[in-house]
Amino acid sequence: MEKEASILQEIAKRFISLEGAGLIPAERRIYLEVPQEIFMDVIKFAAKELGFKHLCTITGMDSASCFEFIYHISNDDGIVLNLELKAQKENPVISSVLPVYNGAVFYERELEGMLGVKVSGLPEGRQYPLPDNWPAGQFPLRKDWKPDKTAKEEGPDGKN
Amino acid sequence: MGKIEIPLGPQHPALEEPESFNLLLQGERVAAATVALGYNHRGMEKACESRTYIQNIYLLERICGICSHSHSTCYVQTVEQIAGVRVPERALYIRTLIGELERIHSHLLWLGIAGHEIGFMTLFMCSWKDREVVMDILEMLTGNRVNYGMNTIGGVRRDITPEQAEEVLKALDVLEERTKYYTKVATEEVTIISRLSGVGKLSNEDGLRLGAVGPVLRASGVARDVRKDDPYAAYANLDFKVATDEHADVFGRTVVRVLELMESYKICRQVLKEMPDGSISVKVPGKVPAGEAMSRYEAPRGEDLHYVKANGTDMPERVKVRAPTLANLAAITHMIEGGYLADVPIVIAAIDPCFSCTDRMVKVTDLKTGGEKKFDWDGLRRYSIDFYAKRGVDFRNTSIGKEER
Amino acid sequence: MGLALFYILIFPGFLFLGFLSLAFEFIDRKLYARLQNRVGPPWYQPLADLIKLAAKETVVPREAESRLFRAIPSFAMAATAAAFLYIPIWGKTSLFPFDSDLIVILYFLTIPTLTFFLAGWFSSSLYAEIGCIRAMTQFFAYEVPLYMSLLGPAMLAGTWSVSGITEFYSSNPALALCNLPGLIVAVFATQGKLERVPFDIPDAETEIVGGTFTEYSGRFLALFRMTIDAELVVASALIAAVFLPFFIPASPVFGFILFLIKVFIVVFLLALMRTALARLRIDQMVGFCWRILAPLSLLQVLIDLLVRGVLVS
Repeated sequence: MEKEASILQEIAKRFISLEGAGLIPAERRIYLEVPQEIFMDVIKFAAKELGFKHLCTITGMDSASCFEFIYHISNDDGIVLNLELKAQKENPVISSVLPVYNGAVFYERELEGMLGVKVSGLPEGRQYPLPDNWPAGQFPLRKDWKPDKTAKEEGPDGKN
Repeated sequence: MGKIEIPLGPQHPALEEPESFNLLLQGERVAAATVALGYNHRGMEKACESRTYIQNIYLLERICGICSHSHSTCYVQTVEQIAGVRVPERALYIRTLIGELERIHSHLLWLGIAGHEIGFMTLFMCSWKDREVVMDILEMLTGNRVNYGMNTIGGVRRDITPEQAEEVLKALDVLEERTKYYTKVATEEVTIISRLSGVGKLSNEDGLRLGAVGPVLRASGVARDVRKDDPYAAYANLDFKVATDEHADVFGRTVVRVLELMESYKICRQVLKEMPDGSISVKVPGKVPAGEAMSRYEAPRGEDLHYVKANGTDMPERVKVRAPTLANLAAITHMIEGGYLADVPIVIAAIDPCFSCTDRMVKVTDLKTGGEKKFDWDGLRRYSIDFYAKRGVDFRNTSIGKEER
Repeated sequence: MGLALFYILIFPGFLFLGFLSLAFEFIDRKLYARLQNRVGPPWYQPLADLIKLAAKETVVPREAESRLFRAIPSFAMAATAAAFLYIPIWGKTSLFPFDSDLIVILYFLTIPTLTFFLAGWFSSSLYAEIGCIRAMTQFFAYEVPLYMSLLGPAMLAGTWSVSGITEFYSSNPALALCNLPGLIVAVFATQGKLERVPFDIPDAETEIVGGTFTEYSGRFLALFRMTIDAELVVASALIAAVFLPFFIPASPVFGFILFLIKVFIVVFLLALMRTALARLRIDQMVGFCWRILAPLSLLQVLIDLLVRGVLVS
């Protein structure tokens, strides 16, 4: 667990406000909540200087009071750093990590489609993974979304 | 010659599952490519939230028909971590064995597909015939050819008897012999080499930059393997090598997979030799304490990731699945562009894509069958006829459309 | 008149050729299957396939040039059947031998490829268009080596008639051995003509679906399939007549059996090639034809010229 602890220390050294934050619940697993203001700096720092070169994926979640995003990034020692980011429920916007992780397009597009969060800096493109004729404003992974609702919005008869 | 745009998919002989690639061709060269996905949505992540932890094992096992054990193992590992369960050693060894047998079956399948894509049907026929050997073994051990149903939270559901172990060892000898032959074929046959080498280049830097995983990345010379880096199950106690190759093309990916087959035989033999005695599962209560965990698993196609958030009830708050193919998608357009049209199928096949794994989320089934508004067969047919009529393909005056009117 | 009709329609025309093509399609498929460790089809499978395909609905795309789309398959079949009339099948001479019929056979064998091109072009489908352009590209690559490989033996024999060539070599079997490079070239080029692996580029299903035949269905597709089978027989028979003119007995019955054996040998070579190789890319195919087959066929011409010089002097 020393490696994991030293990674947290490195981050705290650079970002004073993260002093004492972070959890190491298991071997090779670090959880760290990062405020939105410094999030891009932290993830850039982790990618470029701490060797977390691989973005495993981004998990998007609808917690009761806010949206939660977890960026799972890993390094060559198999340590996964889970950076947690929160965004408010009304008009949520997060910035894209594409400049840091070039392969993140589909992960971010998935957040846009499934949770209805705006990812600023993501290039235009076909939505993923929902079909083209999916009704606007329906975001399946939100907790208040129920499958039956869309069935009524666009029924199979094509009318309603 | 002018540019033409051709669709590859959603239905196309080169693709085993529906996905769509739009290729802008200049002569025989691909000038640009775009991927469209989402034809396989089954709404699994959402569905997990309304099922118990035990039910979810069986649901998530059906994400994919080939790497089913990968997904279920990855999921139970995550839940076990949240629940703080110590899984018996023997169960971990059995999981490893099934996982490796699954890798063998998947890679042999891939070898056949690769042969099919480059028009080499003989390779397809032979490797699929040998794949039956490992399928029979899996059936003997688990009762099923796919979707083994071996995992449960806290261990595995079936033990392996010494007689079964004997059978597995016998089958491994046969498979090893055949794999050596395939290695020879794949690395020495002239037309195969000319079709595979230099095709679908992905440099070391590009592979890392675009987040590629699994054999695709390892063929670009990066020794990244979850089994080594982030060991799970019994891998920490086993001795094996991570197969890499420097070719960075489809040929390299073939070599990596064949080498991995050889490593898998080695791992299986070790597992059977070193498997400790003891119970195969511990009892875990249905309610899982609140908490979160993530787990990674080296599926045949690369790193698989599951994340679970528990809220203290018997159903999870959120389950997130990231299948290996999704991670390799960003790399694929990069690999197709600038190549020949003739190479597109094999380049796509070389990531060993599994689009069922990739697209798994939304309840499209609910959309189609309409919740309360259930379709009967005729209704569905009428819907499809109208659907196409709107898009300019009119079946209404043909025999298909008339019958019922 | 009655006899001519009998020749054209029954023997050795359409009916006989049709029967022979189905038989050799079966042999080809069975060989392919056995070489791949499979059981393979029963003997009546090609006929069953043909009947089933012919009974299926025929769809003509709205975009396609309807009349040509329907007519083209018949041209292909007719040309192939016409070529067969000039090949000796039971003895040293064909039914209607005339001077320079070799040229006519080659000409007739060119027509199916051209019809494949036209079929693809008039289908107005993307895949078919790519397929027909590939068919044409490939055509220019294998046709020249094929012609030159047949030119050599003809020069040595001093005649342009297939019957004449067969007669010449069966009286001088040793000289046929000079034509070995030509035989190799001809077998490869035939594989290209028949669009089979490794040269099945115009209808590579994993790349361009059905290629030239993407839009074809029902009896028109059946006719095209039949043409390809017939081409297999005609081309193999031509190779057998020019390159394997050995031991031809006087009796027509034994002559015919020997003919079947020779065609079988050629079909076996073609099936073996299909089993052992993967599909090439179009650029690799063209490169192979011009860099390897063309020089090899030139070598053949050179050898024959030298031998002929020695013989005459």
